[in-house]
Amino acid sequence: MSHRAKATASLVALCLPACGSDQAAPTAAADAFCAEAMAAVESFTSQLPEPTGERYGGTAVAASYGPLAGGMNSLTAPDYSARQHHAFVNLMPLVRYDQELEFAPYLAQSWELSEDGGLTFHLRDDVLWHDGKKTTAYDVEFTYRRAADPATQFPNPNYWAKYAPGADAVTVVDSFTVRFQLEPHLDYLDAWTSTAIMPAHLLANVPPAELAQHPFNTRCPVGNGPFVFVEHRQDDRWIFRRNPAFPAGLGGPPYLDRYVYRIVLDQSTLLAELLTENVDFYSAPDPDQSGSIVEAEHLDLRSFPFRQYTSVVWNGRKPQLADRRVRTALTMGVDRGEIIDVLLQGYGETANSSVPSFHWAFDPTSATEMPYDPDGARRLLEEAGWSDRDGDGVRENEAGDRLAVTVASNQGNAVRADLAQLVQASLSQIGVEVQTRILEYQTMLSTVLDPEARDFEGVVWGWVNDFRIDDTDLFHSRAVDGPYALSGTVNPELDGLLDTLQLIVDRDEARPYWHRYQRALMEEQPYSFLYFNHRLVGLNRRLQDVEVDVRGEWVNVGSWWIPGDLRKYGSGGDR
Amino acid sequence: MTRYLARRLLGAIPLVLGVATILFFIVNLAPGDPALVYARPGMDAATMEQIRANFGLDRPIHVRYGRWLASLARGDLGYSFARNRPVTELIAEILPNTLILAGVAFGIAFLVGIVLGVIQAVRQYSALDSILSVLALFFYSMPSFWLALMMILVFSLFARNVWEWPIWFPASGMTSIDYEFLGGWERLADRARHLFLPAMSLALVLSAGIARYMRASMLEVIRQDYIRTARAKGLPARSVVFKHALRNALIPVATLLGLYLPFLFSGTVFIETVFSWPGMGKLVVDAINQRDYPVVLGGSLIFATMVVVGNLLADILYAVIDPRVRYD
Repeated sequence: MSHRAKATASLVALCLPACGSDQAAPTAAADAFCAEAMAAVESFTSQLPEPTGERYGGTAVAASYGPLAGGMNSLTAPDYSARQHHAFVNLMPLVRYDQELEFAPYLAQSWELSEDGGLTFHLRDDVLWHDGKKTTAYDVEFTYRRAADPATQFPNPNYWAKYAPGADAVTVVDSFTVRFQLEPHLDYLDAWTSTAIMPAHLLANVPPAELAQHPFNTRCPVGNGPFVFVEHRQDDRWIFRRNPAFPAGLGGPPYLDRYVYRIVLDQSTLLAELLTENVDFYSAPDPDQSGSIVEAEHLDLRSFPFRQYTSVVWNGRKPQLADRRVRTALTMGVDRGEIIDVLLQGYGETANSSVPSFHWAFDPTSATEMPYDPDGARRLLEEAGWSDRDGDGVRENEAGDRLAVTVASNQGNAVRADLAQLVQASLSQIGVEVQTRILEYQTMLSTVLDPEARDFEGVVWGWVNDFRIDDTDLFHSRAVDGPYALSGTVNPELDGLLDTLQLIVDRDEARPYWHRYQRALMEEQPYSFLYFNHRLVGLNRRLQDVEVDVRGEWVNVGSWWIPGDLRKYGSGGDR
Repeated sequence: MTRYLARRLLGAIPLVLGVATILFFIVNLAPGDPALVYARPGMDAATMEQIRANFGLDRPIHVRYGRWLASLARGDLGYSFARNRPVTELIAEILPNTLILAGVAFGIAFLVGIVLGVIQAVRQYSALDSILSVLALFFYSMPSFWLALMMILVFSLFARNVWEWPIWFPASGMTSIDYEFLGGWERLADRARHLFLPAMSLALVLSAGIARYMRASMLEVIRQDYIRTARAKGLPARSVVFKHALRNALIPVATLLGLYLPFLFSGTVFIETVFSWPGMGKLVVDAINQRDYPVVLGGSLIFATMVVVGNLLADILYAVIDPRVRYD
């Protein structure tokens, strides 16, 4: 053996044990945690009697492009589909919305708010974690404490803005009663509809900053909802099975033996999978795929109004966009009805503010406002001092500056790129020069959200509202230097309304203020609000009693069932 | 040979590290911020800072580089920001998927390419040669993602819903929903059925190129004197072609092996996306879009290693095919 080879051999020998150990420790700990957790789930659930009846059985396959990133941890996972699975599939929030979007009992069977801001929840005593432990007030306390801790990176810290600071905010009264101390505010229960309760007995010892990366989330979640976690294959599928112990008072165990969520990234492939019946439930197909789904005899297309609105955000800090008459003209000069027909195949509705039409705060009289009116838009621009002085088809002001704006959209979103082009074509009719610009997604986020680097004129942008709408970060002058004040709006009337709106507890009392708020937004025109899109679902007809509505796709997954003769997937798959 | 291998592998370490270092700085200096996934109204600045701190992004770039190198030496690639799992665990779960797909596609591509190339060379200027040449050019010039979509249309959608063929192929995924409940042979068949479309989409394009090379190389060899000698000795045509000519004609094709391996991994990005094959290409492209630095770097390390190994394999193949080549 030569010297060099010897040196190499000893280097390898030195490295092997040392290199392995440091990495092995956390992995081994994760493996041990998961092995124990899954064994406990298996030993508890296997001794439970499975329900019998003709509806029980079968496997339903849902698919979409979201990977449920962050997994089954409501404390850290930010994305929509993951949170839907927390609330309706694997975990349970305290409260849920009913069909009228009123608050309804779920894990909490009742609650009361006292004069001094004490919010007391009385929990059901028959909800078990999938490993057999009872879900108690200590789990609720744990969930709140972690969610309110910035180290946890809870995705909606604003939920707790009106809660008493520090340890006083939450008290466990007894095993099934928990009390929060807060300043009463608008829809104060909303936070508890989407923050599913997490198991303290498994996660209490995990440091908050490590919760996001804990193996619990993606390898061995233990929930208490209607479906028990079975397996997660990265970027491929999540497999769940029935929880036989789901309380009868909440509808009892689900009908399906198994519910599988598949991740299919390409929309065309996903459509092919739905058409060939490899997938039963396609969440959020593109509007231009709706035709193929409607035509197929074995499929059904559902749609429901979604909380997302798409708009062109105007940066009011730019001189040519500072005048609200100009911004109003830019909205009036765009045919939003046509955009909905062309780009969304009609699956959407015109937006005039951030409040969607299904929302209790919506002002129905605002629906018909701001119709497409190019002549009116031209008059407004003339009034604001912009006219075509040199006859080139583009307006100038007195100083000779052209009325030109760049509208950005993000790469990989064909609808938004088309949208920018439609806006460009419409606005050229009223003498406004629009240049479109497509930016890589992360680059666009930085350009738009970073207050230091913020340099854009217009951007095609979508926000997803919570059910409790709070636009403070968007339009309040207090937040104008913050990341979300894209439009740079400073408007005292809006400030006053935004402050008031969040403090009124009673919806009836709040409604007139909400109507005034929508009016004020229409006058200010920080954005050209374009539309609220509907969310579509392609559905195989073998799947029965699927309800999808504004609350989401998975809202009644426990009641989905498949008639016996339409079950597939071998003897084992459809026990 | 062993010494040669050891030298090549050790020499590859600085190369791979260099690639990773350059990537580290490119990726970290590109505009974008992985914490922005969390940005939405109601998310306050303090929590955003905390998220960056949890990701380790609050430190200056040279410190991050030092820490990254230090953990790399321990075999730790950090945690994915977007998928919230250790990168080593992710790669261990996902790399085999890509290796299966790429390996099968590679095998089919070389087998088909070599056979077609030889046929074309032996029957030069025949109708068969012309037809195969047109076909090869057709597939060679076809973008793989488009071919993939056409494969789905024909062999999945139309085959099942329109023509009702007895055999059709699923458009996505690696296994059926009831895979766990199948027996051993059924499982193998199920995997093969899922592998068919993505592997064929990759292999068709590749094999077209290989066939072109093989044809040219074979034509050159058949005109050599020793082939004429072999024929003059009265050896059967089959023996001349496969024993004497093929082995020599394979030498330039072995070079292709080293060249195509990295191409194959980049090619799998589209194929993996279209067929929802949970593989490395897709993982890394997602990570780039999400500025998931640890995954980008971990994935690149793997790719760089693959390329080095691919080239090494090609060099070893030279020695196997060509007795004149010796490594000491």
